[in-house]
Order: sequence, then structure tokens, then C-alpha cells
Amino acid sequence: MLELKNIQKIYPNGTHALKGVSLKVEPGEFLSIIGLSGSGKSTLLRCMNRLHEPTSGQILFKGTDVTHIKSEELRAYRKKIGMIFQHFNLVKRRSVVDNVLSGYLGSMPVWKSIMGQFPADIRAEALKNLDIVGISEKADLRADSLSGGQQQRVAIARSLMQRPEVLLADEPVASLDPATSHSVMKYLEMINKQFGTTIICNLHFLSLVRQYSTRVIALKAGEIVFEGSPTVIDDDWFKRIYGDDAAEVEIK
Amino acid sequence: MQSNKRVLKDIQAFLLDVFFGFYIAILGERILLHAVILNDTPEPVTNAKMWSFLMFGFVFAGITHFTKTSLSLKIFGLGAEKNSFKNAVAVNIGWILVTLSVIAGWVITKISLIQFFSGEGLQSAGRIFSALVHPEMSIFWEALAAIIETLYLALMATIIALPFCFVLSFLSARNLMKGSTIGLAIYTVIRVVNNFTRSIEPLIWAIIFSVWVGIGPFAGMLALAIHTVASLTKLYSEQIESIDAGPMEALEATGARPLQVIWFAVVPQIFLPFLSFTIYRWDINVRMATIIGMVGGGGIGTMLMQYQGLAQWNEVGLIVIMIAIVVWIMDEVSARVREALQ
Repeated sequence: MLELKNIQKIYPNGTHALKGVSLKVEPGEFLSIIGLSGSGKSTLLRCMNRLHEPTSGQILFKGTDVTHIKSEELRAYRKKIGMIFQHFNLVKRRSVVDNVLSGYLGSMPVWKSIMGQFPADIRAEALKNLDIVGISEKADLRADSLSGGQQQRVAIARSLMQRPEVLLADEPVASLDPATSHSVMKYLEMINKQFGTTIICNLHFLSLVRQYSTRVIALKAGEIVFEGSPTVIDDDWFKRIYGDDAAEVEIK
Repeated sequence: MQSNKRVLKDIQAFLLDVFFGFYIAILGERILLHAVILNDTPEPVTNAKMWSFLMFGFVFAGITHFTKTSLSLKIFGLGAEKNSFKNAVAVNIGWILVTLSVIAGWVITKISLIQFFSGEGLQSAGRIFSALVHPEMSIFWEALAAIIETLYLALMATIIALPFCFVLSFLSARNLMKGSTIGLAIYTVIRVVNNFTRSIEPLIWAIIFSVWVGIGPFAGMLALAIHTVASLTKLYSEQIESIDAGPMEALEATGARPLQVIWFAVVPQIFLPFLSFTIYRWDINVRMATIIGMVGGGGIGTMLMQYQGLAQWNEVGLIVIMIAIVVWIMDEVSARVREALQ
């Protein structure tokens, strides 16, 4: 599905965020990426949809090289890849359904979208997607009147408007409480199973990783230090990934 | 890197001390010595004299730096420790500067309490004040027409400026323009031109335009419009710079085009603040339009100048009262509307 070959990322300030990361994402899998803050997880995810430009290396999507595509081609590529964020990144002052509709912008001509002329079937689809994440009754409320977990579900509905083949989730539950975290993770799991959408998810909590993902990759200081089944990560591996002083925190 | 910064700070502090010394010398000689102590008129300044003042500045900076009693070093956080004698000297240099400035201000503006309270002066002022509180009502309709002209002048200046402000504010928002070299160049040019335009008072613009297009409301409107573009663009672009970048990133990730990202992620975040700034600006423009009228910008200000020139104080009184009422209403309305928009 998605293949990274020897990806390096050096920021203009000299930070060497990724030091030659190679990985292969299989269609339909739920891949988790773990590691300390600053280990390069977010950078890696943003290199996948080219929100960040890798300094060197190659990105292949279904066998096609997308490392250097530009403008129209790049937007067409991004349309196939949804993304949700730690801070949800909704436009707070707009309604929930408007936020969801904005996920369709990539498929609309500029002037039509600015005039707000979303086709009727697309509006229906937006409501349907809100229904999928269980908050269709909130459609007309302002986005910032919703709770954190609900906002993240709006963000998921927005990404569904792209009918994405891959969904990138950048620490989707890091600013949510444990109960809400599970609810959001369950929706990701459902999308993964029902629609066959490939999910690549940055996570902090190993308990969530074990429960939801099919495969896990661990990053440490910009390099992959572990790759395999989440059930294999034991205390020993945990210390290698997070350092000797770390202790695992359960999230129930 | 760290020591480089330290040296740079040291040099800046030294130059500031040279200025302080220069300032003390020039005020000490011109004001303290001649105006206050000798009470005579000093001979005109010569180049040689200025050089000697400057030399004093360097000597002053040298001594205070060498002995660590420099005020600038203290300002830059490099001074002697608190409660020490050297620190006290630095603080006292500061007081000397303040005292000298106040004395100089007093002398230069020729504050004279005798004149202020002289019987003749009070009588004339009293005549004007009594005329002001006995407004001449016969010119009411004429004045009302003029004040309406002023209101519309301010409104037109604001409306004409708006589209320019809107477009320019995006082009001069650092967070949107920093991506490319061309963007950064556009950003810099607009910022520089804007700062320059804004630093010229609307009054000066009115004089320029009244020569250009002739005395009247049009000149006043142009003057206000150009100043509005400069200041509103700055307010707008600062608002754009303070928006949450998250939604922009999110829409970029969906494959939306740059214009769509701006329309759907930036505009909703800035719309209400922009509206609020605009109303505030109209409010300011109404006040400015009055002043601008005095130099030929038309409206109530021009009328005020005419009656003042004829010393018809009862008519002036009516106009002043009407201006006060309109400004008060505008102030009140704009505050209420802006509150409602929060």
C-alpha cells in the first residue's frame, strides 16, 4: 500500500528527526507507531502525506513514486489519505456539518466551494458520516461547543468525506481522557474493519496499541528499533524503546 | 554565540550611554546654564559646540562603563549588583535625565503661570467660554448638513479602504507568506510601505491631497482612506498571524487548494475580529474627519475653522457641542457593537 524507503528528515534548524526509516504498510492493516515524544513519530506521519518534505528517501504509494509530485498530482494523492490530529484541528467557529463538508474540498472546483455549493448528495454523505461516528444530532452546533472526544469524531467524519484508502492518525487520543480514548479508538477500529481503510496511528499507550493494532513499529531518536506484533512487546522491549527509567502506564 | 551576544549588548549599551552623555551636556548647557541660571539667550549652536557635546558623551560613556556605574548597562541587565554603591550611581544618572527633561520641557513650552492666571487673559477666555455655552442656533441646519457630510466622508474612507486592507493583510501576514522567497519579499515590501504610510499623520495626507485634488471632502476622504489602509492592514494581518494553524494543516492534508484553505480555515477565524476592527476604525475616522476638515478636508471641521476665523464664538459653540454629541454616540455604538461581536 504505502512504502517508505530510507526516509531522512533534517529540519532547517538542524534537528535530525528521521534517520533512514524504511517500512512497508500492508493494505487493511492497523499499524501503530510508538515512541517517546520527539522520537519522530509525527514527522514520519507527515512525510507520508507530504505535509513535510523528506530530506531524502523515497515514498511509494501502490508502487507509484510520490516523493516529488507537485500541485495537482500532490493534491490528488492527498485526497486518498485522510488525517486526524491530536488537537482535532476543526474550525471552532463553524458548525459541525460545515467542518465535515470541508473534507470534500479537494474534489470540488474552487469557486463552487467558495460559494458554498456543495452537491446535495455530498451534504447527505456528510450527515451519514456524522451518523457513522454517532453524533449526527450535533450537526448544526458550533464545533467548539462539543467535548474533546466528540470533536475528534467530527474530525474522523471529515476525513471520511475523502473516502480515504489510508487514514493517518497523529496521537488521536493524546488530549482525551481514558474513557473517551477508547470510544475514539473503537471508531477507528470500526472504519478499519468495515471499510477496509488502512490505518496508521501514532500512540503513546501500549495498552491501546495491544488492544487495537495489528502491527506495531517503535521509533527511537528517528530510527526504527522494533517492528512486529503488539503482543510481543514485553518489559524488556518496553525499556529499550522508552528507556530504563520508564514504567508502563495502563489505560483501561 | 553567547559571548557574541554579550559583546553586541555591550556595544549597544555604550552607544546608548554616549547618547545619554550628549543629552545631559546639551540640556545642561542650553537650558540649565543659560535659561535657568544665567537667564540669558545663548548664542546659536555651532558645529564645534555640537562636537564638544558629543565628545562629552563619549567621555561620559567611557567613564561610566569603566567604573560599571553605567545606566545603560543596568538597563541591559549587565550592571552592578543591587544595593551596591555603583548601582545607586546608575539609578541617580537616570533621575538626572528625568529631572533635566522636565526642566527643559518647562522652559521650552514657556509654561507661565502668571500669564495663565492674568486678569486680562481670564477675561478673554471667559468671554469665549460664555459664548460656547450660549450656542447660536440659527446655523443648526447648516451645521447638521456639515456633520452628516463628515460622517459619510468617514464611512466612504473606511469602505473604500476595506478591499485593499483585506487583500494586503493576507499578503503581509507572516505565517502565510513565509513559505517562499517571493512571498517573504512581498511581505517585507508591504510592511515597509505600510509603516511609512502610517507614520504620516492623516492631517499631512489631507494637506497633500487638498493640493492634489483641491480643497474639499474628496481630499479629506482620500487622506483618511490611505491612513485607514495602512492601519487596518496592520491590525488585520496581526489577527491573521495569531490564528490557529491546525485547521489549515488539516485542510491541506485533505488535498484542498491554497485558496480553499484560506477561505475555509483562515477566513472563519478572522471574520468577526475583522468586522470589529472595521467598526472601530470608522469610529476613529469620524473623529479624524473633523480635524481633517480644519485643513480643508470639508465637513464640519471646515465650517468650524470658518467661524473660528471670524471669531464668532457662539456659532463655534454650537459646532463644538454637535461634534461632541456625534463623537459620543459613535463611541457608544461602536463599543456596543464590538462587545456583541466578541
